[in-house]
Amino acid sequence: MLLEASEVSKAFGNFWAVAGADLNVEEGEIVGLIGPNGAGKSTFFNCLAGDMAPTDGRIVFDGVDLTRASPEAHARAGIGRTFQVPATFEDMSVLDNVTVGAFLRHPHRGDARERARRVVELTGLRGEQSARSLGTPGRKRLEIARVLAMQPRLLLLDEALAGLTPMEVREAITLVRRIHETGVTIVIVEHIMEVIMTLTRRVLVFNQGHVIARGTPEEVVADEAVIEAYLGRGTRSHSRERGNP
Amino acid sequence: MVGLLAAALLLYPIVFSGAFYRDIGVAFLLAAISASAWNVVGGYAGQVSVGHSMFFGLGAYAPLLLYTLWGWPPLVGLPVGILLSVVLAVVIGLPTFRLSGHYFSMATLAVAELIRIFFGAWPLVGGAIGLQGPAVARGWWDLTFRGDLSYYYIFLAVLGLLLVVTFEVERRRFGFYLRATKASERAARSLGVPVRLTKLKALALSATFTSAAGSLYAVKTGFIDPDSGFGILVSVQMVIVAALGGAGTLFGPLVGAMILIPLQTAANTWFGGGGSGLTFIIYGGIIVLIARFEPGGLHELWRRLAPRLWRRAHAA
Repeated sequence: MLLEASEVSKAFGNFWAVAGADLNVEEGEIVGLIGPNGAGKSTFFNCLAGDMAPTDGRIVFDGVDLTRASPEAHARAGIGRTFQVPATFEDMSVLDNVTVGAFLRHPHRGDARERARRVVELTGLRGEQSARSLGTPGRKRLEIARVLAMQPRLLLLDEALAGLTPMEVREAITLVRRIHETGVTIVIVEHIMEVIMTLTRRVLVFNQGHVIARGTPEEVVADEAVIEAYLGRGTRSHSRERGNP
Repeated sequence: MVGLLAAALLLYPIVFSGAFYRDIGVAFLLAAISASAWNVVGGYAGQVSVGHSMFFGLGAYAPLLLYTLWGWPPLVGLPVGILLSVVLAVVIGLPTFRLSGHYFSMATLAVAELIRIFFGAWPLVGGAIGLQGPAVARGWWDLTFRGDLSYYYIFLAVLGLLLVVTFEVERRRFGFYLRATKASERAARSLGVPVRLTKLKALALSATFTSAAGSLYAVKTGFIDPDSGFGILVSVQMVIVAALGGAGTLFGPLVGAMILIPLQTAANTWFGGGGSGLTFIIYGGIIVLIARFEPGGLHELWRRLAPRLWRRAHAA
């Protein structure tokens, strides 16, 4: 097992944003996390990436306990993440942005530059372009490139495809597939069902801090608890009357 | 371009041999060294310290204190000042780097002021009166020269060394980590950048050269008191010189010093002693102009305007 998150909880005062969530990820998988807004996906995600220490529970990556480790330690262990709102280094060029990621495994400038150039090419970006001049799709792509340069074993994508046009989404799906083919395990938080249905074989559904369903994408979209969480209680009884999920 | 600049700096005191011009030259170099040193942590790492006078002051007091207590050559005080400044940088950096933005600036300002007040009341370091260096040189190691020419070239050598170090830092992993830390600490940490260590190393490196600038100042002036060592104007000048030219760029502080120091000296000369308050007005005016029109300083302005001027020149 590459990642084992068990009974992870995170409280802000009296409010439990995540309450006892479990997630096990095998090497080579793509796992999807979905759920309505405010369901606790991002908080759970931030716990996995080391951005927040969970109030309770345990996170083990490749046999190493990372529950209270810093984001830097997560990165060194091989966990890379992107942000919901891209946090690119604005004053730097695309290549320089990616080089920052590459320095993690390649301390010498020449090696880091070489690694960064290869990743920029793989992700279809232009190295000399300034990060500031990129639009949303470019920034999301740059974030993926930057994190790939650090050669992660597990990639956490936080709505990396949100805000893209259908055409851009399809390009991004191709990119995620290509990354997966290089042997990187992926956990993806996404609202776009097309992405989840196309990319993942296993999905967890969050609602009010709990995992309310898990299974294949086809199974979870037919799950009553999921329909209720997304569409509300009235819709459930209405759907039943009409014989639809 | 760099060669031209180096040649101009080397030839300046020979071409302008008058005492007044050489004095401006030395003041320019001192401001350029201090601001370039501040630039490492304030510009590249984006940690705007408003209390860098704490390192400048320690660097300035160390040589004169060793001379006063035991008659040691002021030159020995230079590494002692650096050592003390680096220790102070680590002591200050560990707690204050938990703070960010204005909170860090406020904390550094408070510490520098505390040290200034403390030194003003401490008899060992001369209290409010301060310390003096050797009046007459006992040998070259006292670094007490009659004219400004020797100081000019010593200061220039230190500035050259600092620029080479900064250039090397810029190219290496450390430099990339500094810029990433400045842009987004959260994103930098997610990429494995040890943000706090990076900031601490930047502060220590910055403190090293700021302290050296303080030692050079004290050795040249032969006198130091709490205000000229730890005063707020000392810190503010570093920030303004760097910000005017372009913080976070190699030559920004140099350009800032080239403009500000002659301006300041001219104001002081024209208005005599009554013009000393003008420094505050000039600094205030520059802060307003930079904040309102060009937060990136003259470097950014040039970067935006140069292509336009180039196109216009070629179209004509």
